[in-house]
Amino acid sequence: MYKDKKSGAFGIFITVVILIILVLLTNTDNSNLSAFENAASNLVTPIQNGLTYLKNKVSGNNDFTTNINNLQAENEELKKRNSELEQDLRELETIKTENTTLKEYLNLTEKYGDYTTVPADVINRDISNYSKIIIINIGSDNGIAEGMTVIADQGLVGHVISVTNSTAKVQTIVDSASSVSSLMSTTRDSIVCKGTLDDISTLKAMYIPTEAQIIQGDSIETSGIGGIYPKGIHIGTVSRVVNTDNSIDRYAIINTAVDFGKLETVLVITNQ
Amino acid sequence: MKKFLINVMFIITFLILYFLQLNFFSWFQIAGVMPNLFVVLVLYIGLFAGRSMGLAYGVIFGVLLDLFVGQKIGMTAIMLGIIGIIGGIFEKNFSKDSRLTVMIMVVSSTIIYEIGIYALRYMVLENNLEIWSFAKILFAEVIFNIIITIIFYPLIQKTGHSIENEYKGNRILTRYF
Repeated sequence: MYKDKKSGAFGIFITVVILIILVLLTNTDNSNLSAFENAASNLVTPIQNGLTYLKNKVSGNNDFTTNINNLQAENEELKKRNSELEQDLRELETIKTENTTLKEYLNLTEKYGDYTTVPADVINRDISNYSKIIIINIGSDNGIAEGMTVIADQGLVGHVISVTNSTAKVQTIVDSASSVSSLMSTTRDSIVCKGTLDDISTLKAMYIPTEAQIIQGDSIETSGIGGIYPKGIHIGTVSRVVNTDNSIDRYAIINTAVDFGKLETVLVITNQ
Repeated sequence: MKKFLINVMFIITFLILYFLQLNFFSWFQIAGVMPNLFVVLVLYIGLFAGRSMGLAYGVIFGVLLDLFVGQKIGMTAIMLGIIGIIGGIFEKNFSKDSRLTVMIMVVSSTIIYEIGIYALRYMVLENNLEIWSFAKILFAEVIFNIIITIIFYPLIQKTGHSIENEYKGNRILTRYF
């Protein structure tokens, strides 16, 4: 196959390199490589932080020229609204206490409020068209570890897949390699939500039990099965059901609660 | 000395492309798809500096990209290394002086790279197989890469020739046929 000694040696070199990479690829636990990752991220993070700061500054200056009259009227309205909201809050407080007592009767523990979270900014997005990784600006120095769940105000974002001293990579639930075991909140049927290539705001719900009823607009939450995500975190709502000839492989499209196109700040759950 | 400068230039170009891809092309997209400038860069190195340089830079850039934003170390490295080798093969068989052949080279290497990455993702990360969506993304990406190659063709040609002179000297044959 090889004409002379030199190209033969080169061919062997290529084969060996590819084999070594294949072995690395299949066997490495990313945590062993975090020293390299640290070095690599230290190289680019300062520049990226600067650029992100600039971008945010530019996009934040749109309403700089709003006039004062508008602001006064708005202030007046907001004050009114504030008092209304306070009134509502008081009402809700009573409902909440009532709710907790009722839940205690039912032996349900409300877990969502017990999480301690660390806020973080999104500083990077993935540069490939297939994966939807985001990079956040806190790392092991802030107590972040691999496998922690990341949420936003509206719902589930994803989980941490690798950490350096000052940054962490988060695999979002819309990544096409991600699947989340979840529940439909009214019928309690379990499904699996997978990311799609088409869109960054939809998930595909698969493995729907054949006898299950799917309700449009039903809310979807994590089931806690699989151990990655804790139970009961909101994911999104069912937007439509796609029926196929065979009811085993029918699927549903789910709109995520989080807007991944505009995601800027996230919360990392540190005590799940 | 000149070779050293060329290598420094490759690395600086890589970093510039990385930040362009992150900040500019995450906003400037065709049908929600961004181009893949690293394929073009590694192909360029393979074409003008030879197969072994293409392979080496492909693997180095791939590992760096995997460390920056990848999910598993090695996938991008393998595919970019292969693109470097393909650049060397193209160099032996085709002329680089025609805009059309360079465009065809960019098209075929983009297609090979993306299909390879998708296949690896499917095997390693247990991706879903969505052939139709993948084909749409691939198509848009190829078009985007072609447009960028056309825009930067004069620059590619100019710098490419001086790199080729440095690395191959009087062994350059393709230019005279």
